Amino acid sequence: MQEQGSRRAIGSGLKNEGDYMIIPIRCFTCGKLIGDKWEEFIKRVKNGEPAGKVLDDLGIKRYCCRRMLLSHVEIIDDLIKFYGKRDVKNENRR
Amino acid sequence: MKVQILEKNGDSIRFIIDGITTSLANTLRRIILSEVPCMAIDDVMIIENNSVLHDEILALRLGLIPLKTDLDSYNLPEECECKSELGCPLCRAVLILDVKAESKERVVYSKDLIPEDPKIAPISDKIPIVKLAPGQRIRLEAYARLGKGKDHAKWQPVSACTYRYMPEVSIDYERCDGCGECVNICPRKVLDKSNDGKVEVRNLLECILCRDCINVCPKDPPAINVNGNKESFIFYVESTGVLPVERIISEALKIYDKKCLEFLEEISVNLNVSKKDENN
Repeated sequence: MQEQGSRRAIGSGLKNEGDYMIIPIRCFTCGKLIGDKWEEFIKRVKNGEPAGKVLDDLGIKRYCCRRMLLSHVEIIDDLIKFYGKRDVKNENRR
Repeated sequence: MKVQILEKNGDSIRFIIDGITTSLANTLRRIILSEVPCMAIDDVMIIENNSVLHDEILALRLGLIPLKTDLDSYNLPEECECKSELGCPLCRAVLILDVKAESKERVVYSKDLIPEDPKIAPISDKIPIVKLAPGQRIRLEAYARLGKGKDHAKWQPVSACTYRYMPEVSIDYERCDGCGECVNICPRKVLDKSNDGKVEVRNLLECILCRDCINVCPKDPPAINVNGNKESFIFYVESTGVLPVERIISEALKIYDKKCLEFLEEISVNLNVSKKDENN
């Protein structure tokens, strides 16, 4: 329960979660590169730093780029667990 | 025309151009956005991909990765002498991606893209392309080429290119009683009160011409006036990192020059033709 709550806080506001499976490479609006900043962002936010401050540190100034990281949910992590299990099962059958 | 550079840090630059018209300023902006070429992955040959992302999504993601551009040693494919659909070493660069997740999950980063020409490499090593579950594999060849922003945003060398009028704030000291309403309301803290209670302009460049100070002034007509100088512009250009900003601006001006020359040539050819018609 605790874990779910924290994930909501970081990636709320998504209607169709399948829309962005993995962090987009660029900002949808201006085209600034944001993909390479995701891992540091999420690590620091999970460690309790305020998200706004982390974004400032990463040099993300415009609100179009800031929402990219703020509103993102990394769905691919959940999917990959599923695929990994399936592959192991298949190998056992062989 | 006078140019004054206000600040330059890393990939962005802010400067003032004084003494040009709006149409010229907008021309510069639009050429930077849509005509200055840069490198991006265009065609992708997927040999193997059993990751959770479809081939198309994967290719789109690869296309968006900004690549360091070498404008001097590459040609635009439509201007290249090879005239080939596949391209030649002068108009395309190959990058190879071959990653397999063995027993653990693995993130495929942009650093796993191995460029054939080391000058055409992703600007950042840490861009996640896809994540692989154990046993999944990606093998592909990506072809990068020069392109223009008007064809696809991935070929846009800038992530921001804006200009605005140079602000001009004038205060009528004969009627201003220094009430300070305008100082308090200014969202950009342009105005400030001096020691003797006079309202002063402190950060003129920060003014966004919102005119809140005029509306709040109790005097009628207001003792403060704000206007944009329509012949002076504050430009802000922010490169995505593919090219240095100075290069983007100089390249834009070169393209403008070329367009003007082309136009002049075309017009003089047509004039000569019509003269000949008259003589006949």
